[in-house]
Order: sequence, then structure tokens, then C-alpha cells
Amino acid sequence: MLISLILLGVLFVITAALAQTYHARVEGLVSEWFQKGNADLANGKPALAFEDFRNSLSYGPDNPEVQLRLAEALLADGRFTEARSYLVNLWDRAPGSGEVNLDLAHVSMQTGDVDQTIRYFRGAIFGSWEKEPALQRRKVRLELCEFLLSHRMTNDAQAEIAGLAADTPAGNGVLLEENGRLFLRGGEPGKALTEFEAALQIDPRQSQWLADAGQVAFEDGDFLKAEAYFSKSYRENPTNDVQASLALVRNVLGNDPFLAGLSDEEQARRAWRDFKLGLERLHNCAGTSKAGLSSGQSTSDLLPANKDAQDLQKRVNLRSLTGNPALRTEAMQFVSRIEDATSRMCGPGTGLDQALTLIEKRHEGNNP
Amino acid sequence: MSDPNIPVEETQVAAPVLSAAPKDSGLQWFSSKAHLLTLSEGNLFLLLAIIIGMFSGLAVVCFRIAIEWTRLGLLGSALAPPPLRVLLVPALAGLVVAFLVQKFFPRARGNGVNQTKAAVYVFDGFVPFRTVIGKFLTCSLAIGSGQSLGPEDPSLQMGAGIASALGRRLRLSRDRLRLLAPVGAAAGLAAAFNAPISAVLFVIEEVIGTWSASALGAIVLAAVSSAVIMRSFLGGEPMFRVPAYTLGHPAELLAYAVLGVVSGVLSLAFTKIIAYFRPRLRALPEWTHYFQPAAAGLLIGFVGLRIPQSMGTGYPYIDQALHSQYTWEILAILGFAKILTTSLSFVSGTPGGMFAPTLFIGAMIGGAIGGLEHHFFPQVSASVAPFALVGMGTFFAGFLRVPITSVFMVVETTGSYSIVLPVMISNTIAYLISRKYQDVALFDLLAKQDNLELPSMEEQREQIVLRVEDAMRKPDLPPLQASDTLARALEIAETSTEEILLVRFPTGRWAGIARKDLHALASEHAKESQLREVLSSARLPILHPDQRLDDVLRFIQGHALLPVVSRAGSRKLEGVLSLPDILTAYQRAT
Repeated sequence: MLISLILLGVLFVITAALAQTYHARVEGLVSEWFQKGNADLANGKPALAFEDFRNSLSYGPDNPEVQLRLAEALLADGRFTEARSYLVNLWDRAPGSGEVNLDLAHVSMQTGDVDQTIRYFRGAIFGSWEKEPALQRRKVRLELCEFLLSHRMTNDAQAEIAGLAADTPAGNGVLLEENGRLFLRGGEPGKALTEFEAALQIDPRQSQWLADAGQVAFEDGDFLKAEAYFSKSYRENPTNDVQASLALVRNVLGNDPFLAGLSDEEQARRAWRDFKLGLERLHNCAGTSKAGLSSGQSTSDLLPANKDAQDLQKRVNLRSLTGNPALRTEAMQFVSRIEDATSRMCGPGTGLDQALTLIEKRHEGNNP
Repeated sequence: MSDPNIPVEETQVAAPVLSAAPKDSGLQWFSSKAHLLTLSEGNLFLLLAIIIGMFSGLAVVCFRIAIEWTRLGLLGSALAPPPLRVLLVPALAGLVVAFLVQKFFPRARGNGVNQTKAAVYVFDGFVPFRTVIGKFLTCSLAIGSGQSLGPEDPSLQMGAGIASALGRRLRLSRDRLRLLAPVGAAAGLAAAFNAPISAVLFVIEEVIGTWSASALGAIVLAAVSSAVIMRSFLGGEPMFRVPAYTLGHPAELLAYAVLGVVSGVLSLAFTKIIAYFRPRLRALPEWTHYFQPAAAGLLIGFVGLRIPQSMGTGYPYIDQALHSQYTWEILAILGFAKILTTSLSFVSGTPGGMFAPTLFIGAMIGGAIGGLEHHFFPQVSASVAPFALVGMGTFFAGFLRVPITSVFMVVETTGSYSIVLPVMISNTIAYLISRKYQDVALFDLLAKQDNLELPSMEEQREQIVLRVEDAMRKPDLPPLQASDTLARALEIAETSTEEILLVRFPTGRWAGIARKDLHALASEHAKESQLREVLSSARLPILHPDQRLDDVLRFIQGHALLPVVSRAGSRKLEGVLSLPDILTAYQRAT
């Protein structure tokens, strides 16, 4: 018995030494293949990377880092079902891992499972991240917002964007501007403008932010504010796009008879000018249409407008418009009808015509 | 003649083979001269079981490391090795292995389970230590070079060999020595599978075939200590990592039943292939045995060029299948390729086990069936992974015919208990199919091919057990009461056809009076004497209807008739039993 116990001790020591050497070798192989996989993945060779990670995993099957990278290689190679299996396994062990949740969200996105996608995105937002957690969470939230917007889930998207804005540090203009763009896409221009203005407080001369703020104000119908932002943006960085936007806003502001603070004469003058422009657009379009209409089209859309024009022309002039807001409104409504009809027949108007359309839209519903 | 005062239920029946040893050797702790710490043989045996477990665990750890190093050295560290190595290494290693087996370790060629059984039933627990060394060397080389075999069966035999060597060194009694081989086998298997429960069950189900208390304690201790050693060196994680599984809908079980049918048929085919080719290759001239493993290795290399997964133990690929890494078509190809390569390795006489390949084939076939069902009936079947998991156990149950072990093995090697329901259904179906169409189980078949007449555990399990209720008959008259007089007894005796009259006492005690003795008693006592007075000390053993006739035979001799009473109350007579009744029942049964 004593000899047996001594033998057992000797065998124990030998086995321990062997096991130590073996584990060192195995750990070396895990690391070796893992690094090779990372390099292949970085070089855009996901299929090779996937084989490398598999090799690595065969020596360290419990290594979650390798499993995650393997799943990511599979994702990059478009093998979503296989990736999902590994990720689900990882998720079971670490349901709070932000990275795993994000990868699972990507897989679910690919398989068209909207509910799961949202669930995993939220898991990633509230999950743990080893490096730069705040930045990672923001990235995930942005992705979730994009996903929700692309699936027309506007209410959910608005809630996420609001959450994103609430978590955004006040001193980062880039992030604020990013929020603004999202609010804009989510149909909340007012909130978008707030974000842009917050960004501009940090850097008031950032031309792109100024242009964005101008655009939001423009879409919100606040042309005065839009004009101010566009002109500032143009001063900082005179681009064609901003120039065009600025010209359009100025056309609106220069021709809108309903603009607050205008005298009655000025309103009449503007309405009279707009009316004449409308008539001109009608005649031009009718002339072009007769020459260029295809067999399926007719000038019938223009006929009612033409009839109204003949009727109104008898009543509308600069004098009759002065002191007669109702007639001014009627004249502008006529202009709007003309723009609609000519847009359908001859394409959308540009320059002043576009401005007239915007003026009418701006006051739609407010007219008596 | 047995003591009539001893009730039957107090009689203890020992297992025929693994009975407790006579307590005569008085083995002592450390030295026969040092009497300070002396252990009884029973306690020493349990301590020895732990030591055997530790030895076996250490040996298996070294064995596993040896296989891995051989594989790394010969085939490289990638899962898909370079083609030239794939082609040449198994063949060249096959040559070396064959040489070692033929020249130095002829017993390394055999099946470990049967050799352990032979040690128990034929060789008085003797397993040569040379076989342990032979298994270690040849199996490390064979499995490490890519032959499609597993390390579990060799581990089992190494455990048995180590146990036998220790037992011989300690000069244990013959009965203890016989018991040591399965104890070591359980330890070896527990370490190889990292599954002590399955190892215990397997040894009981396949090697000793009985739940003997004296054996069970030692087997459990050895398995546990071996598994602890293995885990402390190689980690305690389950062998396979599986995604979480939940049974979505009861109809899913139908899908698993289909898997049971397919696995049953394929395991049957696998058994038939081995049963057909193995004896034919063994019957070839002796010199061919030097080249059979090499030829098998070359063919395996050819298959491995296209399907490297079919080489070696295949454990990493099982893991991949369990993670839905293959389409069902690929899984099916892998399953059939593994059947081919494993058949080649095994029938060529290359040393190694069948457990790992069986799990591999089961996982692949299971995954393939799952994938196929999911393709056509996505609403019924779950993903591929649970089917691969269930398939492992199912093929194991069908091929090795160990239905209980297979269920626990799946649970233990995966750590997934939730899968147990489908596993049970699928395993049972596969097992029943295999049993119906293959009379002799694989291990028994291999034993017969090796000219060993070992007891078949499956047959033992299936044997019809005759019980008292199968042989007892109704008494022609109600029994006498202790309060009856001798005159009344004489009156009854005139009308009864029995030679013995049973007397019931109010306490539930029973006695018997032979008719011929009744008149003698009447002449000695007054006829108005009550029976309780004249039969004051007589007592008959009592029987119950569910007792085994084999057990009753031990003490019925000496009693012409015994009462069979209800377990709900020994005063209620269910019937009577005599030796001729038992013999008639045995005649009827045969």
C-alpha cells in the first residue's frame, strides 16, 4: 500500500508537469489562431478568419472572446444562422453583454425578426461594454433609431431619439447635430432645431450646422429664421446648395403677401405680383403642353384654372386688392391652384414658382 | 435443513459473482507490523477504490495529453491538416501500431469492455498490466494519427488494468479482485467522459449487470475520485457546450421519434457492417494483420482529404454540429463518412474505442434529420442543435445497447437537463429497433467473435423472472386456526388432500402439521386440546407472491408446504407452495 501511495504521488507530479506544459501549449495555440483570425478579419477575409477562429476554439472551446469573434466572422461572411447559434450560446452565459446583444441584433435584422432585433438592440444599449461604454451605447442607439425609422416605427424611433438626446453630453456639438438630424428624420423639426441651436452655441460659425438649422427652420415654415441661418452659413462657407436655399427663402420672404408686419399696400402689391406670375406660369405651361403632350395626357387639368383666371382677371388688380384681404386670399388661392395644376402638367416649378408654392403651403389652413 | 424460525424476508441474497469476500485476510494499513491503524477489508476496499480512481484519473489525463500531442506532432494544429499529412500519417502510424500490437501488446487489440468482463467472469479479475501500457501507447498513436476511434474504451480498460494490478499487489481475495476490474473500469470511463454517473451506470448496465451494494459503493467512489482528478487537471466543463433548449411544442416529440427510428436503423446497419467484416479480416493470414491498420489508415486518409472531420475522435466537430455550423446535407455526409472510417479503423484491428465515433455519428445524423425536418416542417421541429444533441444519445443507445447510460451520458456530457425528454423517447425507439433486428448486442457479438463466452447483460436483463405467484396454488381447504381442537384437526384431515395442514395463529405466525403426525399428537394429548397448545414452538417460514422462485428454492427444502401470505397482513393466506409446484412452474416456463 505504501508503495502504491508513493507511486500515486510520483504519477501525480508527472501528470501535473505534463498538464502544465500541455495547457501552456494549448493556450499558445488559442492565442496564435485567434490573432491570425483577427488579422484575416481585418484584411476582409472572413472565410479564412472563420477557419482560424474555429481552430482557436477547438483548443479553447469556452473562450467567449474567440466565440464572439467567430460569430462576427460568420456574420461578416453572411452565415447568419451559424453565427446566431454561437451568439445565443454566449448570450445564455452573458445576457448582459452589449457586444453579444448587438451581434444578435444584427443577426435578427438579417433574418427579418423585428421584435427580436429591437429586443437585442435594447439589450446592447443597457448591456455592459468593456471599452468606451458611453460611446458604444450611443452607437447602438443610433443604429436602433435608424432601424426603427427604416421600419416606419416613428413613435418608437422618437422615444429612442429622445433618449439619445437626453444622454448626449452638452458640450459635444457633433453629437448634438447628429441628434438634430435624427429628430428631423423622425418628423420632429422643432426638437431638431433645438439640437442644432444647442450645437451652434458651442460653435456658432460651423457652416454645416448653420445650414442644417436653416433647413430645419425652413421645413418648419420659419422662413425668417431659415434666412438668418442660411445667410450666416453662406458667409462662413459659400456653397451652391446653401446659396440655392437662401435664394428660395428670400423669394418666399420677398413675395409672401401674408408676412407679418407688412402694410396693406405692400400686401396688395405682393399679391398682385404673385397673381401675375401665376397667370404667366399658366400660359407658359398651356403653351408648352399643347406642343408636347403625349397621347395619354390632356390639357383638361388646366381648363378650370384657365376659366378661373378669366373670371378673376376681371376683378383682380392692384387697386381692388388694396384694402381687400378676402380678395387677396382668393387671388393667392388661385395662384396655388395654378401651381398645383402646372406642376402636374409641366413639372415642379423653380425659382419664384417654387416660392409661390411654399407661400401657399405655409398659409394653408390659416386663410379665411 | 434451514432453520424454520427464520422468516424469508430476513434472508439476504448475495450476487452470484460479486459476493462479499470472507473476512479472513485482515489487511492492514501500511504494514502488517504496524497495528496502530488497522482497517477491515471492507473499509480498505473502499479506500482502495478511491486510490484506484485517482490512479485511473491520472492515467487518463496523461493518455488524453498523449493523444493531443501525437495529433499536434503528426497532423499539426489546424482542424483541417495539410493534405500530404492527411494521406500519409494514418497509414504510417497504422504500420507502427500494428507492429506494436502484433509483437508486444496483443491484448491491446481487443475491446476494452469485453476484456474487463472477461477479467470478471473468466480470469478472476486479472488484467495484465502490459495491456495498460499497450493500450496507452498504441491508442495514443492510432487516435492521434487520425484513425477514427475514441479514447473512452481504452481508458476504461486502462482503469481496469490499474485496479487489477493494485489488487494483486495487495493480495486481495479472489472475489475482491474480480470486483476491482469493474471498479477500475468505471474510474477510467468517468475520467475519459468527464461523466461519473454515466460511467457508473455503464459499468453496472454492461459489465456487472447487477446493483450490488458492495460493488456500487466502490464503483461510485472510484468514478468520483477519477472524475475529480481529471477535472482538476483538464477542467470541469462539460465535454460539449450546447445552446439552451426548450421544448416548444409537444408535437416536436414526434420529430424526435423520427430521429429515433432513423438512428435505430443506422445503428443496426453499423453493427451489421462490423459484425460482417471484423471476423473476415481477422481470419486473413497472420502477416496481413501487420498491414491492415495501415491499409485502413490509407483509406481513411483518402476520405480525410475531402472530409477531414471524419478523422480522429471528432469532438471539435460535434461541438460545431451542436452549434448549427453545418447544413443538414453536410451533416448527413459527415455521419456516413464517419461510419465508413470508423468501420475501417475498427475492423482492421486498430486499437481504440467506439464511444467517441458513436457520439459523432449520432450527432451528425441527428443534426441531419433535424435539419431535414426543419426544412419541410419548420413549425414542428426546432433548430439543428437539439437534434444533434439527442442524436448522440440515440445512436449510442441503438449501437451499444445501453439505454439508461445513453440518457445520462447526454445530460452529463452537455450539462443540459432540459433535453432529457426527447432523449428518452428517441433513445427508446432506437434501442427497441436495434434489439428487434439484431438479436445479439454489439459487445456480446464481439465477445463471441473473440471466442469468449461472456454473460450477456442484456439477456440477463431480459430473462423472465419466475415469482412465487407463478407457482403457488390455492389450498383445497381453509387453514386451521390455532384455537381449533385436535379433534377438529383430525376431522379436517379426513377431507383434505394435502399431506400438510397449515395452522394460522392470531399473531400472524404459521405452523404446519403432517397428517401422519396428527394421530400421534392425538394419542399424546387430549382430543379437546387446542392446536396452539400442542404446536407451541413450531413456526413455518412465510412467502409473499412477489418473491423470486430462485430465492425461495434456497430454503424450501425441508418444508413440504409453505404458506404464501399477503404483504398487507400475514394472516391472509394467498396460496400454498411446495417444491413440486416450483419445479412444475419452471417446466412450464421452459
